[in-house]
Amino acid sequence: MSVRSKGVASYAVVLVVGLAAEFGFREVVGDSSLRQLVMTAAINVLIALSLNIINGMAGQFSIGHAGFVGVGAYTAAVVMANLHQAWPGDVSFPRSLVMVPASVGGGALLAACFGVLVGLPSLRLRGDYLAIVTLGFAEIFRLLIATASVGDGGVLGKLGGQNGYAGPSDQGIPQYSGPFWVFGAVGLALILCHRLKFSGWGRALRALREDEIAAAAVGVDPTRYKVTSFVLAAAGAGVAGGLLATMHDGAPITQPDQFNFQASFDAITMVILGGSGSVSGATLGALFVTFSTKFFEYLQSTPSMQEFRSANSWLDLNALRMVIYAATLIAVMILRPEGVLGEREIWEKKRT
Amino acid sequence: MSALRLDRVSKTFGGLRAVGDVSFVIPERSIFGVIGPNGAGKTTVFNLITGVYRPDPGGSILLGTIDLTRLSPAEVAAAGVARTFQNIRLFARLTVLENVLVACETTRATGLMSALTRTRAFFDDEAAMVERAMKLLEVFGLESMADLPSTSLSYGNQRRLEIARAMMLRPRVILLDEPAAGMNYGEAEGLKAQIRWLREEFGVTVVLVEHNMQVVMGVCERIHVLDHGETIAEGTPEEIQKDPNVLAAYLGEEGEEAGS
Repeated sequence: MSVRSKGVASYAVVLVVGLAAEFGFREVVGDSSLRQLVMTAAINVLIALSLNIINGMAGQFSIGHAGFVGVGAYTAAVVMANLHQAWPGDVSFPRSLVMVPASVGGGALLAACFGVLVGLPSLRLRGDYLAIVTLGFAEIFRLLIATASVGDGGVLGKLGGQNGYAGPSDQGIPQYSGPFWVFGAVGLALILCHRLKFSGWGRALRALREDEIAAAAVGVDPTRYKVTSFVLAAAGAGVAGGLLATMHDGAPITQPDQFNFQASFDAITMVILGGSGSVSGATLGALFVTFSTKFFEYLQSTPSMQEFRSANSWLDLNALRMVIYAATLIAVMILRPEGVLGEREIWEKKRT
Repeated sequence: MSALRLDRVSKTFGGLRAVGDVSFVIPERSIFGVIGPNGAGKTTVFNLITGVYRPDPGGSILLGTIDLTRLSPAEVAAAGVARTFQNIRLFARLTVLENVLVACETTRATGLMSALTRTRAFFDDEAAMVERAMKLLEVFGLESMADLPSTSLSYGNQRRLEIARAMMLRPRVILLDEPAAGMNYGEAEGLKAQIRWLREEFGVTVVLVEHNMQVVMGVCERIHVLDHGETIAEGTPEEIQKDPNVLAAYLGEEGEEAGS
């Protein structure tokens, strides 16, 4: 098979798997909370893949990725809820073919605009300083949304506030983004990230990460490459946020606290654990973080654990969860400072 | 026709004049040396040419007819000036071949969009670039190491790889910053032959900053001497070796002390 037809085939596979998931996912996975978990994991993969463009490939350090996710989520929620109100009907797959691209696409677009805004300082700032700018952006966004009170009953509805946004008349955000959209977006993101990495563009980005002065000396314009990488990553995060706000079995309400520092930090953990710069590494990292967090939550809810807890009231299991989590991270960082995979992809042979 | 022309170029760092009113003309396809004692401003001149520093107002730098004075490093590289660095700067976690390939990003036909859509043009372009890069590696005797990480090469091979990477830009002018650093007599002789061959093979103009007099006197057609950021002499190697100012700068610390 030629390389070209392989490319077409990979899109076809994404389309078929997406369609199969759209109509089969509900049948195969009966439990709605499990469905929600799997979809959340997929969205976390999107978040990790997009952050990997900045933190892995370009070697910048952003700790405010949840800000871009939040911009995407709120934008998509507003667009989706208003569109649904203006054009009433069932939350069905055919209608989602219009609703999802409009709302999630809008979220990606606005997030990309913020990507330019946050990407520009990255030209002058390095390392910790850039990290503070990105963190500042994410926190400003979250606090503005949490404290703002805009337009009661207008198009924006009750957008601001700690309680979150649930559409123009608090009826909840319609959940159009089914498995087709969520898994399809992950498939597409995997293909695009892989192509990005294994192209001249990705190579230049990695060169920039290794030595900016030398890269500029061979014609790689740091401005262009860094800002573009921020825009691509922000757009990807915007898609993830948009899907998060509008997905099947998800919460019908978008809240500012979904996009706090903890969320940004989780995204970094996913990328670093899996291996900065590795597409498959970021994917595995995202799956690991999502499922391990859920696993600890599940453990806590089991009857035997509940019993144990009431018998030992001094034991704060929530804190213990974070201790185990941190210990795992420290262990990985000591044993494999570059993450589990490093920059390698899982199918690539180890370089000697 | 001159390849590179500097006209009254100065650079002041917070009151300290690192380079003052330096002017020189480098003829096309020549080998030109810039020498001077430590701290004379040689590398600063390279950094001014390549856009790392911006010259003080009044000076100008021309590549043929292109004004480089206000261009960024990436734009200078795209215009046709390649360079190597005093302390080798390779892309550590990239392979030898990838190091060379990075240098064709400005000249290649296809951009980000075709990389994402993987059009036929993308594959053709990439194949052509790999072929060109492999030819360059062959020329520098590095083709068997193409897939190794660049850091695994020996010191001499790293220097050669840096020159190969610079040549991938298809430059009109290549600036070599102390290419003979750390070389013994035999290696320096080899470098002389390589520099001459570089000019014959690629028709490139070579500018050399170098301390190793064996190399400078042996290979340069004209030499420009700097001391404390100022021009003190220019001429052929024979003229420079006899120039009293140059002798004073290199050997005459006593005279300077007596004067001060």
